[in-house]
Amino acid sequence: MEDLGFLHEVEKATGEKVSACYQCCKCTAGCPVVADMDIYPHRIIRHIILGNRDTVLGSKAIWACLQCVTCSVRCPNDIDVARVFDALRKISVREGKMVEKDTWRFDEIFLESVQRHGRLHEMETILRYKIDKKDLFSDTMMGVGMLKKGRIGLLPHNIKDRKGMKEIFKKTGVSKQAQMTKILICLVS
Amino acid sequence: MFESYTERYTLVTLSYYPGCSLKTSSRFYEESFKAVFSFFGIGHRELEDWSCCGASAAHTIDEKLGYALAGRNLALAEREGNHLFAPCSACYNRSVITNTRVREDGELREEINKTIYPLQCTGTIEVKNIIEVLHDYVGIEAMAQRISYDLSSIRVVPYYGCVLTRIMKMEAFDDKEDPVSMDSLIWSAGAEVVNWPYKMECCGASKTLTNKEMTLKLSSKIMDMALSLGADAVVTPCPLCQLNLDLLPYLGRNDKNLPILFLTELLELALFGELKGTGSHIIPVDAIVKKAKKK
Repeated sequence: MEDLGFLHEVEKATGEKVSACYQCCKCTAGCPVVADMDIYPHRIIRHIILGNRDTVLGSKAIWACLQCVTCSVRCPNDIDVARVFDALRKISVREGKMVEKDTWRFDEIFLESVQRHGRLHEMETILRYKIDKKDLFSDTMMGVGMLKKGRIGLLPHNIKDRKGMKEIFKKTGVSKQAQMTKILICLVS
Repeated sequence: MFESYTERYTLVTLSYYPGCSLKTSSRFYEESFKAVFSFFGIGHRELEDWSCCGASAAHTIDEKLGYALAGRNLALAEREGNHLFAPCSACYNRSVITNTRVREDGELREEINKTIYPLQCTGTIEVKNIIEVLHDYVGIEAMAQRISYDLSSIRVVPYYGCVLTRIMKMEAFDDKEDPVSMDSLIWSAGAEVVNWPYKMECCGASKTLTNKEMTLKLSSKIMDMALSLGADAVVTPCPLCQLNLDLLPYLGRNDKNLPILFLTELLELALFGELKGTGSHIIPVDAIVKKAKKK
Protein backbone atom coordinates (compact mmCIF):
# COMPACT_ATOMS: atom_id res chain seq x y z
CA MET A 1 0.00 0.00 0.00
CA GLU A 2 1.32 3.39 -0.91
CA ASP A 3 1.69 6.21 1.53
CA LEU A 4 -1.56 8.18 1.50
CA GLY A 5 -0.27 10.92 3.78
CA PHE A 6 0.77 13.24 0.95
CA LEU A 7 -2.54 12.81 -0.87
CA HIS A 8 -4.43 13.70 2.29
CA GLU A 9 -2.18 16.68 2.93
CA VAL A 10 -2.80 18.08 -0.56
CA GLU A 11 -6.54 17.36 -0.41
CA LYS A 12 -6.77 19.11 2.94
CA ALA A 13 -4.79 22.14 1.79
CA THR A 14 -6.92 22.61 -1.33
CA GLY A 15 -10.31 21.15 -0.48
CA GLU A 16 -10.04 19.33 -3.83
CA LYS A 17 -10.80 15.65 -4.29
CA VAL A 18 -7.50 14.82 -6.00
CA SER A 19 -8.14 11.07 -5.66
CA ALA A 20 -11.07 11.39 -8.09
CA CYS A 21 -8.64 11.66 -11.02
CA TYR A 22 -8.98 8.85 -13.56
CA GLN A 23 -6.13 9.96 -15.81
CA CYS A 24 -8.09 11.23 -18.80
CA CYS A 25 -5.18 13.64 -19.56
CA LYS A 26 -7.45 16.55 -20.45
CA CYS A 27 -5.45 18.85 -18.14
CA THR A 28 -2.24 18.00 -19.96
CA ALA A 29 -3.85 18.26 -23.40
CA GLY A 30 -5.06 21.80 -22.73
CA CYS A 31 -2.03 23.16 -20.87
CA PRO A 32 -0.32 25.97 -22.84
CA VAL A 33 3.06 25.45 -21.13
CA VAL A 34 3.25 21.69 -21.14
CA ALA A 35 6.40 21.90 -23.28
CA ASP A 36 8.19 23.56 -20.36
CA MET A 37 7.16 20.89 -17.86
CA ASP A 38 9.31 17.98 -16.78
CA ILE A 39 6.29 16.11 -15.45
CA TYR A 40 2.92 16.55 -17.17
CA PRO A 41 -0.03 17.77 -15.07
CA HIS A 42 -1.97 14.48 -15.11
CA ARG A 43 1.18 12.70 -13.98
CA ILE A 44 1.69 15.20 -11.15
CA ILE A 45 -1.80 14.31 -9.95
CA ARG A 46 -0.98 10.60 -10.19
CA HIS A 47 2.28 11.10 -8.29
CA ILE A 48 0.35 12.83 -5.51
CA ILE A 49 -2.00 9.85 -5.25
CA LEU A 50 0.96 7.47 -5.19
CA GLY A 51 2.63 9.50 -2.46
CA ASN A 52 5.75 10.42 -4.45
CA ARG A 53 6.30 13.53 -2.43
CA ASP A 54 9.83 14.49 -3.48
CA THR A 55 9.16 13.93 -7.20
CA VAL A 56 6.24 16.34 -7.10
CA LEU A 57 7.70 19.00 -4.81
CA GLY A 58 11.03 19.01 -6.65
CA SER A 59 9.50 19.25 -10.12
CA LYS A 60 9.90 22.13 -12.57
CA ALA A 61 6.29 21.65 -13.63
CA ILE A 62 4.72 23.24 -10.57
CA TRP A 63 6.67 26.44 -11.30
CA ALA A 64 5.94 26.51 -15.04
CA CYS A 65 2.20 26.76 -14.35
CA LEU A 66 0.69 30.12 -15.34
CA GLN A 67 -2.51 29.72 -13.34
CA CYS A 68 -4.58 30.21 -16.51
CA VAL A 69 -7.00 27.59 -15.08
CA THR A 70 -7.65 25.82 -18.40
CA CYS A 71 -6.98 22.45 -16.77
CA SER A 72 -9.37 23.12 -13.89
CA VAL A 73 -12.23 24.19 -16.14
CA ARG A 74 -11.86 21.07 -18.29
CA CYS A 75 -11.47 18.47 -15.53
CA PRO A 76 -14.41 16.01 -15.79
CA ASN A 77 -14.02 15.26 -12.09
CA ASP A 78 -14.09 18.91 -11.13
CA ILE A 79 -10.60 18.95 -9.66
CA ASP A 80 -9.19 22.49 -9.58
CA VAL A 81 -5.81 21.36 -10.90
CA ALA A 82 -4.40 24.91 -10.93
CA ARG A 83 -5.27 25.26 -7.27
CA VAL A 84 -3.53 21.98 -6.52
CA PHE A 85 -0.42 23.32 -8.29
CA ASP A 86 -0.71 26.52 -6.26
CA ALA A 87 -0.79 24.50 -3.03
CA LEU A 88 2.15 22.34 -4.16
CA ARG A 89 4.24 25.49 -4.61
CA LYS A 90 3.55 26.52 -1.04
CA ILE A 91 4.49 23.10 0.36
CA SER A 92 7.57 22.98 -1.87
CA VAL A 93 8.79 26.36 -0.59
CA ARG A 94 8.00 25.50 3.01
CA GLU A 95 10.15 22.40 2.73
CA GLY A 96 12.91 24.08 0.74
CA LYS A 97 12.42 21.76 -2.25
CA MET A 98 11.69 24.32 -4.96
CA VAL A 99 13.83 24.07 -8.07
CA GLU A 100 12.91 27.54 -9.34
CA LYS A 101 12.72 30.56 -7.08
CA ASP A 102 12.06 33.49 -9.45
CA THR A 103 8.27 33.16 -9.49
CA TRP A 104 8.03 33.02 -5.72
CA ARG A 105 10.57 35.79 -5.23
CA PHE A 106 8.76 38.09 -7.65
CA ASP A 107 5.42 37.47 -5.94
CA GLU A 108 7.01 38.27 -2.59
CA ILE A 109 8.52 41.52 -3.83
CA PHE A 110 5.15 42.37 -5.39
CA LEU A 111 3.40 41.83 -2.07
CA GLU A 112 6.00 43.75 -0.09
CA SER A 113 5.26 46.74 -2.30
CA VAL A 114 1.53 46.33 -1.69
CA GLN A 115 2.13 46.01 2.03
CA ARG A 116 4.15 49.23 2.04
CA HIS A 117 1.97 51.41 -0.20
CA GLY A 118 -1.41 49.68 -0.33
CA ARG A 119 -1.08 49.55 -4.11
CA LEU A 120 1.55 48.13 -6.40
CA HIS A 121 4.47 50.46 -7.05
CA GLU A 122 5.54 49.14 -10.44
CA MET A 123 8.95 50.79 -10.78
CA GLU A 124 10.03 49.79 -7.30
CA THR A 125 8.85 46.20 -7.77
CA ILE A 126 10.62 45.78 -11.11
CA LEU A 127 13.87 47.34 -9.88
CA ARG A 128 13.90 45.36 -6.65
CA TYR A 129 13.34 42.14 -8.56
CA LYS A 130 16.11 43.02 -11.02
CA ILE A 131 18.55 43.89 -8.24
CA ASP A 132 17.63 40.68 -6.47
CA LYS A 133 18.44 38.72 -9.63
CA LYS A 134 21.62 40.77 -10.19
CA ASP A 135 20.42 41.34 -13.74
CA LEU A 136 19.70 45.03 -14.11
CA PHE A 137 20.12 45.59 -17.82
CA SER A 138 18.54 42.68 -19.69
CA ASP A 139 15.20 44.45 -20.24
CA THR A 140 16.44 48.02 -20.54
CA MET A 141 15.03 48.49 -24.04
CA MET A 142 11.62 47.30 -22.92
CA GLY A 143 11.75 49.60 -19.88
CA VAL A 144 12.71 52.64 -21.95
CA GLY A 145 10.04 51.81 -24.53
CA MET A 146 7.39 51.59 -21.83
CA LEU A 147 8.58 54.77 -20.16
CA LYS A 148 8.36 56.68 -23.43
CA LYS A 149 4.75 55.60 -23.80
CA GLY A 150 4.00 56.42 -20.16
CA ARG A 151 3.28 52.82 -19.34
CA ILE A 152 5.25 52.31 -16.14
CA GLY A 153 4.12 53.80 -12.84
CA LEU A 154 7.13 55.80 -11.67
CA LEU A 155 5.82 57.11 -8.38
CA PRO A 156 4.24 55.15 -5.54
CA HIS A 157 0.49 55.43 -4.94
CA ASN A 158 0.04 55.45 -1.21
CA ILE A 159 -3.38 54.70 0.20
CA LYS A 160 -4.56 56.56 3.31
CA ASP A 161 -5.19 53.53 5.46
CA ARG A 162 -1.68 52.09 5.26
CA LYS A 163 -1.88 51.09 8.90
CA GLY A 164 -4.89 48.91 8.18
CA MET A 165 -3.02 47.37 5.25
CA LYS A 166 -0.05 46.41 7.40
CA GLU A 167 -2.50 44.97 9.90
CA ILE A 168 -3.98 42.67 7.21
CA PHE A 169 -0.53 41.34 6.35
CA LYS A 170 0.29 40.90 10.03
CA LYS A 171 -2.92 39.04 10.79
CA THR A 172 -2.46 36.59 7.92
CA GLY A 173 1.12 36.02 9.05
CA VAL A 174 2.54 36.76 5.62
CA SER A 175 5.12 39.36 6.66
CA LYS A 176 6.66 36.91 9.13
CA GLN A 177 6.45 34.01 6.72
CA ALA A 178 8.21 36.07 4.03
CA GLN A 179 11.23 36.55 6.25
CA MET A 180 11.40 32.84 6.97
CA THR A 181 11.33 31.96 3.26
CA LYS A 182 14.01 34.52 2.51
CA ILE A 183 16.31 32.76 4.97
CA LEU A 184 15.29 29.42 3.47
CA ILE A 185 15.99 30.55 -0.09
CA CYS A 186 19.44 31.82 1.00
CA LEU A 187 20.19 28.46 2.61
CA VAL A 188 19.06 26.49 -0.44
CA SER A 189 21.11 28.53 -2.87
CA MET B 1 -18.44 67.97 -31.34
CA PHE B 2 -19.70 64.72 -29.81
CA GLU B 3 -20.65 66.57 -26.62
CA SER B 4 -24.09 67.24 -28.09
CA TYR B 5 -24.78 63.51 -28.21
CA THR B 6 -23.73 62.90 -24.65
CA GLU B 7 -26.52 61.79 -22.37
CA ARG B 8 -27.55 64.51 -19.97
CA TYR B 9 -28.78 62.14 -17.32
CA THR B 10 -27.08 59.29 -15.53
CA LEU B 11 -28.64 55.88 -15.87
CA VAL B 12 -26.80 54.18 -13.04
CA THR B 13 -23.83 54.81 -10.78
CA LEU B 14 -21.20 52.15 -10.24
CA SER B 15 -18.32 52.03 -7.79
CA TYR B 16 -15.24 51.94 -9.95
CA TYR B 17 -12.27 49.80 -8.90
CA PRO B 18 -9.34 50.76 -11.18
CA GLY B 19 -6.78 48.29 -9.89
CA CYS B 20 -3.11 49.09 -10.37
CA SER B 21 -3.12 48.78 -14.19
CA LEU B 22 -5.65 51.47 -14.99
CA LYS B 23 -3.69 53.99 -12.94
CA THR B 24 -0.25 53.15 -14.35
CA SER B 25 0.44 50.96 -17.37
CA SER B 26 -3.01 51.34 -18.94
CA ARG B 27 -4.10 54.84 -18.03
CA PHE B 28 -5.50 55.31 -21.53
CA TYR B 29 -7.92 52.43 -20.89
CA GLU B 30 -9.42 54.52 -18.10
CA GLU B 31 -9.73 57.57 -20.40
CA SER B 32 -11.26 55.39 -23.07
CA PHE B 33 -13.97 53.74 -20.96
CA LYS B 34 -14.78 57.09 -19.35
CA ALA B 35 -15.53 58.59 -22.77
CA VAL B 36 -17.77 55.65 -23.68
CA PHE B 37 -19.50 55.59 -20.27
CA SER B 38 -20.29 59.27 -20.29
CA PHE B 39 -21.71 58.95 -23.81
CA PHE B 40 -24.12 56.26 -22.64
CA GLY B 41 -24.87 57.84 -19.27
CA ILE B 42 -23.19 55.25 -17.08
CA GLY B 43 -22.00 56.99 -13.92
CA HIS B 44 -19.02 55.78 -11.94
CA ARG B 45 -17.37 56.89 -8.75
CA GLU B 46 -13.84 55.77 -7.96
CA LEU B 47 -13.77 53.64 -4.85
CA GLU B 48 -12.42 55.71 -1.98
CA ASP B 49 -8.98 54.54 -0.76
CA TRP B 50 -9.01 51.28 -2.76
CA SER B 51 -6.03 48.96 -2.50
CA CYS B 52 -4.41 46.23 -4.60
CA CYS B 53 -6.54 43.09 -5.08
CA GLY B 54 -3.48 40.90 -4.64
CA ALA B 55 -3.70 39.64 -8.24
CA SER B 56 -2.00 36.31 -8.82
CA ALA B 57 0.74 37.05 -6.28
CA ALA B 58 -1.29 37.04 -3.07
CA HIS B 59 -3.00 33.68 -3.43
CA THR B 60 0.24 32.08 -4.59
CA ILE B 61 1.96 33.08 -1.36
CA ASP B 62 -1.01 32.78 0.97
CA GLU B 63 -4.61 32.01 0.06
CA LYS B 64 -6.11 33.85 3.03
CA LEU B 65 -4.19 36.99 2.18
CA GLY B 66 -5.61 36.80 -1.35
CA TYR B 67 -9.16 36.73 0.02
CA ALA B 68 -8.47 39.49 2.55
CA LEU B 69 -6.98 41.89 -0.01
CA ALA B 70 -9.92 41.45 -2.39
CA GLY B 71 -12.31 41.52 0.57
CA ARG B 72 -11.05 44.90 1.72
CA ASN B 73 -12.15 46.53 -1.54
CA LEU B 74 -15.48 44.68 -1.55
CA ALA B 75 -16.10 46.00 1.97
CA LEU B 76 -15.37 49.56 0.82
CA ALA B 77 -17.78 49.14 -2.10
CA GLU B 78 -20.49 47.73 0.16
CA ARG B 79 -20.20 50.81 2.31
CA GLU B 80 -20.93 52.93 -0.77
CA GLY B 81 -23.77 50.62 -1.75
CA ASN B 82 -23.22 50.46 -5.52
CA HIS B 83 -22.21 47.52 -7.66
CA LEU B 84 -18.48 47.28 -8.22
CA PHE B 85 -17.10 47.73 -11.71
CA ALA B 86 -13.65 46.14 -12.19
CA PRO B 87 -12.30 46.61 -15.74
CA CYS B 88 -9.11 44.58 -15.19
CA SER B 89 -9.69 40.84 -15.71
CA ALA B 90 -7.36 39.80 -12.90
CA CYS B 91 -9.03 42.20 -10.44
CA TYR B 92 -12.45 41.06 -11.64
CA ASN B 93 -11.54 37.39 -11.25
CA ARG B 94 -10.21 37.80 -7.70
CA SER B 95 -13.08 40.06 -6.64
CA VAL B 96 -15.86 37.92 -8.07
CA ILE B 97 -14.45 34.74 -6.53
CA THR B 98 -14.04 36.40 -3.13
CA ASN B 99 -17.48 38.01 -3.31
CA THR B 100 -19.24 34.74 -4.12
CA ARG B 101 -17.32 32.78 -1.51
CA VAL B 102 -18.01 35.39 1.15
CA ARG B 103 -21.70 35.13 0.32
CA GLU B 104 -21.79 31.35 0.48
CA ASP B 105 -19.18 30.33 3.03
CA GLY B 106 -19.91 31.66 6.52
CA GLU B 107 -16.66 30.41 7.98
CA LEU B 108 -14.53 32.10 5.36
CA ARG B 109 -16.58 35.29 5.67
CA GLU B 110 -15.89 35.42 9.38
CA GLU B 111 -12.20 34.83 8.83
CA ILE B 112 -11.92 37.56 6.19
CA ASN B 113 -13.82 40.01 8.33
CA LYS B 114 -11.56 39.34 11.29
CA THR B 115 -8.59 40.11 9.08
CA ILE B 116 -9.93 43.30 7.54
CA TYR B 117 -11.58 44.58 10.74
CA PRO B 118 -13.01 47.26 11.27
CA LEU B 119 -14.18 46.87 7.65
CA GLN B 120 -16.89 44.29 6.99
CA CYS B 121 -17.74 42.46 3.81
CA THR B 122 -20.90 40.39 3.41
CA GLY B 123 -21.25 39.81 -0.32
CA THR B 124 -24.29 42.00 -0.84
CA ILE B 125 -23.11 43.81 -3.96
CA GLU B 126 -22.25 42.46 -7.39
CA VAL B 127 -18.93 42.65 -9.20
CA LYS B 128 -19.14 43.48 -12.90
CA ASN B 129 -16.58 43.55 -15.70
CA ILE B 130 -16.63 45.90 -18.68
CA ILE B 131 -18.52 43.47 -20.94
CA GLU B 132 -21.25 42.94 -18.36
CA VAL B 133 -21.62 46.67 -17.73
CA LEU B 134 -22.04 47.40 -21.44
CA HIS B 135 -24.56 44.59 -21.86
CA ASP B 136 -26.51 45.44 -18.70
CA TYR B 137 -26.70 49.21 -19.07
CA VAL B 138 -26.43 49.80 -22.82
CA GLY B 139 -27.28 46.63 -24.69
CA ILE B 140 -26.34 45.68 -28.24
CA GLU B 141 -29.45 47.20 -29.81
CA ALA B 142 -28.89 50.65 -28.33
CA MET B 143 -25.21 50.37 -29.14
CA ALA B 144 -25.88 49.64 -32.81
CA GLN B 145 -28.31 52.56 -33.05
CA ARG B 146 -25.92 55.12 -31.59
CA ILE B 147 -22.76 54.55 -33.62
CA SER B 148 -21.68 57.30 -36.00
CA TYR B 149 -18.69 55.74 -37.76
CA ASP B 150 -18.61 52.82 -40.13
CA LEU B 151 -16.18 50.11 -38.98
CA SER B 152 -17.29 47.45 -41.46
CA SER B 153 -13.87 47.35 -43.13
CA ILE B 154 -12.16 46.40 -39.83
CA ARG B 155 -11.73 42.70 -39.12
CA VAL B 156 -11.04 41.97 -35.47
CA VAL B 157 -10.40 38.87 -33.38
CA PRO B 158 -12.06 38.96 -29.93
CA TYR B 159 -9.46 38.10 -27.29
CA TYR B 160 -11.00 37.53 -23.87
CA GLY B 161 -7.86 36.40 -22.07
CA CYS B 162 -7.55 33.51 -19.68
CA VAL B 163 -9.18 34.47 -16.39
CA LEU B 164 -12.20 36.57 -17.33
CA THR B 165 -14.69 33.72 -17.47
CA ARG B 166 -12.61 30.86 -16.11
CA ILE B 167 -13.99 31.07 -12.62
CA MET B 168 -13.90 27.71 -10.89
CA LYS B 169 -16.69 26.16 -8.84
CA MET B 170 -19.12 28.94 -9.58
CA GLU B 171 -21.27 30.27 -12.34
CA ALA B 172 -19.50 32.66 -14.72
CA PHE B 173 -21.24 35.45 -16.65
CA ASP B 174 -20.41 33.77 -19.96
CA ASP B 175 -19.27 30.38 -21.26
CA LYS B 176 -15.99 29.29 -19.69
CA GLU B 177 -14.55 27.87 -22.90
CA ASP B 178 -16.28 29.71 -25.72
CA PRO B 179 -17.52 33.11 -24.54
CA VAL B 180 -19.55 35.21 -26.98
CA SER B 181 -20.57 38.30 -24.99
CA MET B 182 -17.79 40.49 -26.39
CA ASP B 183 -18.35 39.19 -29.94
CA SER B 184 -21.85 40.63 -29.91
CA LEU B 185 -20.63 44.00 -28.63
CA ILE B 186 -17.99 44.22 -31.36
CA TRP B 187 -20.54 43.19 -33.93
CA SER B 188 -23.02 45.80 -32.70
CA ALA B 189 -20.27 48.45 -33.02
CA GLY B 190 -20.15 47.54 -36.70
CA ALA B 191 -16.79 45.79 -36.98
CA GLU B 192 -16.38 42.35 -38.46
CA VAL B 193 -15.80 39.61 -35.87
CA VAL B 194 -13.44 36.86 -36.99
CA ASN B 195 -14.07 33.53 -35.31
CA TRP B 196 -10.87 32.03 -33.94
CA PRO B 197 -9.67 29.34 -31.56
CA TYR B 198 -7.60 31.56 -29.25
CA LYS B 199 -10.35 33.54 -27.53
CA MET B 200 -9.08 32.46 -24.14
CA GLU B 201 -5.53 31.31 -24.79
CA CYS B 202 -3.16 32.49 -22.05
CA CYS B 203 -0.78 35.33 -23.03
CA GLY B 204 1.64 34.48 -20.21
CA ALA B 205 1.31 37.80 -18.39
CA SER B 206 2.27 36.35 -15.02
CA LYS B 207 5.74 35.47 -16.34
CA THR B 208 6.69 38.59 -18.34
CA LEU B 209 9.48 39.40 -15.89
CA THR B 210 10.38 35.98 -14.54
CA ASN B 211 10.36 33.97 -17.77
CA LYS B 212 10.40 36.22 -20.82
CA GLU B 213 10.94 33.38 -23.30
CA MET B 214 7.79 31.64 -22.17
CA THR B 215 5.74 34.83 -22.46
CA LEU B 216 7.18 35.53 -25.91
CA LYS B 217 6.27 32.06 -27.10
CA LEU B 218 2.68 32.27 -25.83
CA SER B 219 1.96 35.82 -26.97
CA SER B 220 3.60 35.23 -30.34
CA LYS B 221 1.41 32.18 -30.92
CA ILE B 222 -1.67 34.33 -30.36
CA MET B 223 -0.40 37.06 -32.70
CA ASP B 224 0.48 34.53 -35.42
CA MET B 225 -2.99 33.05 -35.31
CA ALA B 226 -4.61 36.49 -35.59
CA LEU B 227 -2.37 37.32 -38.56
CA SER B 228 -3.04 34.05 -40.33
CA LEU B 229 -6.78 34.71 -40.18
CA GLY B 230 -6.35 38.08 -41.87
CA ALA B 231 -7.43 40.17 -38.88
CA ASP B 232 -6.68 43.92 -38.70
CA ALA B 233 -6.63 44.14 -34.91
CA VAL B 234 -6.94 42.19 -31.68
CA VAL B 235 -9.62 43.47 -29.30
CA THR B 236 -9.43 42.68 -25.59
CA PRO B 237 -11.03 43.84 -22.33
CA CYS B 238 -7.97 42.90 -20.23
CA PRO B 239 -5.16 45.41 -19.49
CA LEU B 240 -2.65 42.64 -18.83
CA CYS B 241 -3.34 40.95 -22.17
CA GLN B 242 -3.19 44.30 -23.94
CA LEU B 243 0.15 45.24 -22.40
CA ASN B 244 1.68 41.85 -22.95
CA LEU B 245 0.75 41.60 -26.63
CA ASP B 246 1.64 45.26 -27.16
CA LEU B 247 5.09 44.52 -25.71
CA LEU B 248 5.79 41.83 -28.33
CA PRO B 249 8.30 43.98 -30.27
CA TYR B 250 10.30 44.39 -27.04
CA LEU B 251 9.93 40.78 -25.97
CA GLY B 252 11.97 39.88 -29.02
CA ARG B 253 9.43 39.25 -31.78
CA ASN B 254 10.66 40.37 -35.18
CA ASP B 255 7.62 39.47 -37.26
CA LYS B 256 4.67 41.67 -38.11
CA ASN B 257 2.38 42.70 -35.27
CA LEU B 258 -1.27 43.75 -35.25
CA PRO B 259 -2.53 46.63 -33.11
CA ILE B 260 -4.10 45.60 -29.79
CA LEU B 261 -7.18 47.65 -28.95
CA PHE B 262 -9.20 47.72 -25.78
CA LEU B 263 -12.86 46.90 -26.26
CA THR B 264 -13.80 50.44 -25.28
CA GLU B 265 -11.31 51.82 -27.82
CA LEU B 266 -13.15 50.03 -30.61
CA LEU B 267 -16.35 51.59 -29.28
CA GLU B 268 -14.60 54.99 -29.18
CA LEU B 269 -13.85 54.54 -32.86
CA ALA B 270 -17.45 53.64 -33.62
CA LEU B 271 -18.85 56.55 -31.62
CA PHE B 272 -16.30 59.34 -32.12
CA GLY B 273 -14.05 58.20 -34.97
CA GLU B 274 -10.89 58.80 -32.94
CA LEU B 275 -8.84 57.33 -30.11
CA LYS B 276 -7.79 59.21 -27.00
CA GLY B 277 -4.93 56.81 -26.31
CA THR B 278 -3.24 56.62 -29.73
CA GLY B 279 0.08 57.76 -28.27
CA SER B 280 0.14 55.09 -25.57
CA HIS B 281 0.10 52.14 -27.95
CA ILE B 282 3.49 50.55 -28.58
CA ILE B 283 2.29 48.84 -31.76
CA PRO B 284 0.92 51.76 -33.84
CA VAL B 285 -2.86 51.97 -34.31
CA ASP B 286 -3.05 54.70 -36.99
CA ALA B 287 -4.00 52.29 -39.77
CA ILE B 288 -7.08 51.16 -37.82
CA VAL B 289 -8.14 54.70 -36.92
CA LYS B 290 -7.99 55.66 -40.61
CA LYS B 291 -10.38 52.84 -41.47
CA ALA B 292 -13.23 54.37 -39.44
CA LYS B 293 -15.40 56.30 -41.91
CA LYS B 294 -18.07 58.84 -40.99
CA LYS B 295 -21.50 57.42 -41.78
